[in-house]
Amino acid sequence: MMMIQANNVDFYYGEFHALKGINMDIEPNTVTAFIGPSGCGKSTFLRLFNRMNDLIPGTKLQGECIVNGTNIYRKGINVDDLRKEVGMVFQKPNPFPKTIFENVAYGLRVNGINDSKVIKERVEQSLMGAALWEEVKDKLKKSAFELSGGQQQRLCIARALAIQPSVLLMDEPASALDPISTSKVEELIHELKNDYTIVIVTHNMQQAARVSDKTGFFMLGELVEYSDTKKMFFNPEKEQTQNYITGRFG
Amino acid sequence: MKHTEKELQSLKEEVREMWQLVLSQLEKCKQSYLTDDLEIAREVASREKRVNTFELKIESDCENYIALYTPVAVDLRLVLSMIKICSTLERIGDFAEGIARHVIADDCTPLLQLIKDDLQVETMFDTVIAMLSDSYAALESENTKLSGRILQKDEEVDTLYREAIRKLAEYVEKNPSHAPCVLETLLVLRKVERIGDHCSNIVEEIVFYIDAKILKHRKSKE
Amino acid sequence: MGKKTDQQIAFWVFRILGLIVVAILCWILGFIVWNGIGVISWEFLTTAPTDGMTGGGIFPAIVGTFYLIIGSMIVAFPLGVMSAIYTTEYAGNGKTVRFIRIMTNNLSGIPSIIFGLFGMSLFVNTLGWGDSIIAGSFTLGLLVLPLVIRTTEEALKAIPDSFRTGSLALGATKLQTIKRVILPMAFPNIITGLILSIGRVSGETAPILFTVAAYFLPKLPTGIFDQVMALPYHLYVISTSGIDLNATRPMAYGTALVLIAIVLIMNLLASFLRRYFGKKVKTN
Repeated sequence: MMMIQANNVDFYYGEFHALKGINMDIEPNTVTAFIGPSGCGKSTFLRLFNRMNDLIPGTKLQGECIVNGTNIYRKGINVDDLRKEVGMVFQKPNPFPKTIFENVAYGLRVNGINDSKVIKERVEQSLMGAALWEEVKDKLKKSAFELSGGQQQRLCIARALAIQPSVLLMDEPASALDPISTSKVEELIHELKNDYTIVIVTHNMQQAARVSDKTGFFMLGELVEYSDTKKMFFNPEKEQTQNYITGRFG
Repeated sequence: MKHTEKELQSLKEEVREMWQLVLSQLEKCKQSYLTDDLEIAREVASREKRVNTFELKIESDCENYIALYTPVAVDLRLVLSMIKICSTLERIGDFAEGIARHVIADDCTPLLQLIKDDLQVETMFDTVIAMLSDSYAALESENTKLSGRILQKDEEVDTLYREAIRKLAEYVEKNPSHAPCVLETLLVLRKVERIGDHCSNIVEEIVFYIDAKILKHRKSKE
Repeated sequence: MGKKTDQQIAFWVFRILGLIVVAILCWILGFIVWNGIGVISWEFLTTAPTDGMTGGGIFPAIVGTFYLIIGSMIVAFPLGVMSAIYTTEYAGNGKTVRFIRIMTNNLSGIPSIIFGLFGMSLFVNTLGWGDSIIAGSFTLGLLVLPLVIRTTEEALKAIPDSFRTGSLALGATKLQTIKRVILPMAFPNIITGLILSIGRVSGETAPILFTVAAYFLPKLPTGIFDQVMALPYHLYVISTSGIDLNATRPMAYGTALVLIAIVLIMNLLASFLRRYFGKKVKTN
């Protein structure tokens, strides 16, 4: 069964036709990367799956977005519940001005988990899952702002893992990080693939190549090509894709 | 270990397996040639397909590795040398198969049994097999000290080959009726000599990978 | 004339203008301290005026001002903060919000005497609260409402959207996001708004003129429907309509000094709170 399906998705910001007839199937426990020039719609498409675009006024969606068998734009869908199922990590690390522990516990607390034992366990698990535990286990009570940028981003990943989503959306998760932190995050993505379905938007084509199983290339709101990453980077079908990934584009 | 390192390791592992396969092909074709064992010869011929499959697999893995991970420095040299080594191994595999086909097709065995010791056929085989397994050891230990010795062995094979040609020429002068079988034998020895050349190419690739030094075509300059 | 000289001249002009402002402030403060410090005594702070305002102290006025500060904050603070939350977090950028914003700005432009008149007609007369602490608090509360709203709005807007989206993406509701992330982060800046409004409230005379202030009331209030004396009004009274203006002049300076001191102390307290919460927000 597919974890994520988009069927004939059209999306508008007011008059602007941002996504044009997108179809895509994403299998569970895979990493899918979206690449394409700025403004091509890849981030917009990503944000459809946890309905983050709802926050922008004047948007309109046509077509179906299905996550785990449920049409997430159906009437009566609880968006807050959807966002527990589909976690998100943002471009810039955005930990809350709380302690490291409370940052990870936040998602649990707002979702009504109050048992301190459960919270403690989950926080530990999530920090381990995000490969951060060893670095922070002695300073859980310190402010999250004391961590380095790369650590903050992994904290944000841990925070998303704590609520045990099945899908993890990542919007350029390493673009604000230095190369070493970037490679740590990329390694982490590889690890997480075993338990989560990951969709990542990146400007860095090499990153897409390094971390993903499948790659979608977007341009001007269209999904130009969607195939195995190996194929995409060795023998892309479309000339546009070739021009973009070889840097001859534009 | 990082994900990319793991990929590189598995690439190396595949090359190792292919290497072992080609080595055993060489051993077997030597055995079948010297003892005229058709059974083993057929086995060599049929296993040649596996060598070819290995080549395709490793090549495509190398392509993917370059396309996906854009290796640099030692990683880049490793991948490049793996591509070349695997196609060279495949050539060696072809020669082994070719020798096996000689065993299957011709009936020059009586002649061969008469002159093989004189021609030092077994020594030639053993030398190229040693070259291939020594170069494997060089790659394993990432040590290029062995390379000089391996290249030295290629010279030995060449000398043996020239010697063998001379002896075969003498023989055919005395026994003109055996000319076809003499030529057959020459073709086999020629293949063994070529295997030696390919082994030295492999050693050069290993030196390129480990030390980034280019040994190719040096002799012509000196 | 070189570029460098230009720079130097401009720099000195700005520096002198800045120093002038500080100098004027110091002058006023110095003037009041110089003239007022003489009458400040324990007795002045703790007793009621006697002898037609020429003797005794200003205790009832101090207490009255404190009551009015507290009362008006109780009125303005929740109302202001909540409407600011509504306009920034919930209402989006529609017509309603623009209308509310324009109205809030208009409200802050209304002269304070009009607030006094409005308070008198609504709270004192129509609602029948009479001249009372509650009527004065509501009037003062309304007066500073725009200030509270605007500073709270600014405080909320200063928080990057990434914190909101980050929280929402974890399945938090909007209310949870505001309560657990946005308000704690904005709190130090909201406190600044509180400081400013306290300063404004304690110094206003016109709105309390018709709604709460008593000319002379030696006893302390017993409930929210009592009248009180207040420092600014007391200052006005003893400076303009005393029996013997020359005799009350020192008292007036003393009152002014106390008023300024109260505002100053409030500001210090609030900025301490601001720093305290600022630290707590970061590490908690």
